[in-house]
Amino acid sequence: MAEIYPIGGGKGGVGKSFITASLGALFAKWGKKVVLIDLDLGASNLHTLLGMQSPRTGLNSFLNKTVKNLENAAVPTMIPNLFLISSFHCYMEIANLFYAQKLKIIDSIKNLPFDYVLLDLGPGTNFNTLDFFLTSKEGILICTPEPTSIENSFRFIKTVYFRKLKQMMKKNTFDSVLKDTSSNLDRSGMNPPDIIEIVLKHDPEKEAFLRNKLSEFKFKLVFNQFRNNLDPTLGDQFENICNRHFYSIFQFLGNIRYDSRIHDAVFSKILYIHKYPHTQSAADLKKIAARIMSKMPSESFGKDM
Amino acid sequence: MKKFDGLNYYEILKIPMTSSYFEIKRAYKDALSLYNEDSIVTYSLFSKKERDKIIEDIENAFLTLSDDQKRAAYDQMLMDSGQVETFIPSMEKTYESPSQSAPHTGVNENLLHSRVKEKLLAEDVKAQLDEILLKERLSGDDLKKLRKAVGVKITEIQYITKISTSVLRAIEENRFEELPPDTYLKSFLRSYAKVLQTDPQKVIDGYFKTISHAKKTNDLDPT
Repeated sequence: MAEIYPIGGGKGGVGKSFITASLGALFAKWGKKVVLIDLDLGASNLHTLLGMQSPRTGLNSFLNKTVKNLENAAVPTMIPNLFLISSFHCYMEIANLFYAQKLKIIDSIKNLPFDYVLLDLGPGTNFNTLDFFLTSKEGILICTPEPTSIENSFRFIKTVYFRKLKQMMKKNTFDSVLKDTSSNLDRSGMNPPDIIEIVLKHDPEKEAFLRNKLSEFKFKLVFNQFRNNLDPTLGDQFENICNRHFYSIFQFLGNIRYDSRIHDAVFSKILYIHKYPHTQSAADLKKIAARIMSKMPSESFGKDM
Repeated sequence: MKKFDGLNYYEILKIPMTSSYFEIKRAYKDALSLYNEDSIVTYSLFSKKERDKIIEDIENAFLTLSDDQKRAAYDQMLMDSGQVETFIPSMEKTYESPSQSAPHTGVNENLLHSRVKEKLLAEDVKAQLDEILLKERLSGDDLKKLRKAVGVKITEIQYITKISTSVLRAIEENRFEELPPDTYLKSFLRSYAKVLQTDPQKVIDGYFKTISHAKKTNDLDPT
């Protein structure tokens, strides 16, 4: 079975695609068979980061049945062991995927014969993004150490929970709980109550079950574009707060230091870790990749990779 | 979202029951800075009401655990109610709180912070500050006016920034020849501005312009 890692995080421009491509290249270099799936539907450009022309074959071929399964929609990249399923040539309205098509994609992702499947998600918290994120029990949240980005990460976690609860509860029950909540909200005026908490508590018999389901998730956190003048304990604080106030397990993977050459590399269409393999930011990426692969949380691992 | 409901004071501060006074104090400081309304990690996570409740819980935890008698009573309560396994504090390790021996004379940084913040909300203070900060050059007198406007004492700045009062006075009294080298001066001005919750860059630039202006005037007119 493949290990599936959706890579998301509320905000645009925080480096989701860049990190997806880099982690994929590192796993592949370390001998794993890896496929990246560009699920930033309607705005896909993972191929460019990998220095490729937009591949003809991709998600489009799978949806219009020119290939018989999702595995065949994957094209090799210039990096051995690393494959890409692009959504570049999908029809113009791909961003509004049909529900049945989405289910078909999700179902196929779970059965891909690779060691690692990395899903590059779009920004925001629309249903597609959330449902793709829920493909796996483990996901990676990318954010930059800025208030806006952190705020969006919290919103992302909450909407993931909300979506998951909606999937697990009967439609009628869910709708009526929501209706009650919103009418209470009108009455109380100030301080919107925590909707997730209300949904969880509406049925005491089910509460433990639902909480348990939410606690099965593992979120991994990465701070990208980390500048040297920032508080180095920010990531640990973030992990600490999430573990304390949300329902799942959160693990901070590390900071990726800001480097203006990352920008240059994107322009030159050469993967940053290949163009500048000996920089601090490249070392940060390696450390994070090693940590995901080893599943070891310890700080000391991966130092001399 | 989970709050602090059902957590005991040790759990709120995330410390073991055997913690020393210093560990409690450090945990308390860490918790306050994490749940402070200016923390970029938590500012968006709680409503004002929720945050106030959290801070109150943290304060209560510290007030109880930093006081030997209250802590002993609290521990007893936790054990009696079966919330924790019976735990016997070792004989040599009585909770030592220095507040017993030496009265606490320091400045509470958090209180000072909120005091300045409140001052800054007042229209007249804001107008006064804006008027000063609009100047291209900021002299020592201007800094002093800023400081007085937000009601901060020079000793309070000394306590928080650890910059000696003689240097702080030299800055405010434009005694440039007594000031430390530029790099240090810059960092001092930055700390000074931070306590006053004013733009540090503006203060540094403005003050350095005053210095270079004074130098030029001196060069032209050597007395």
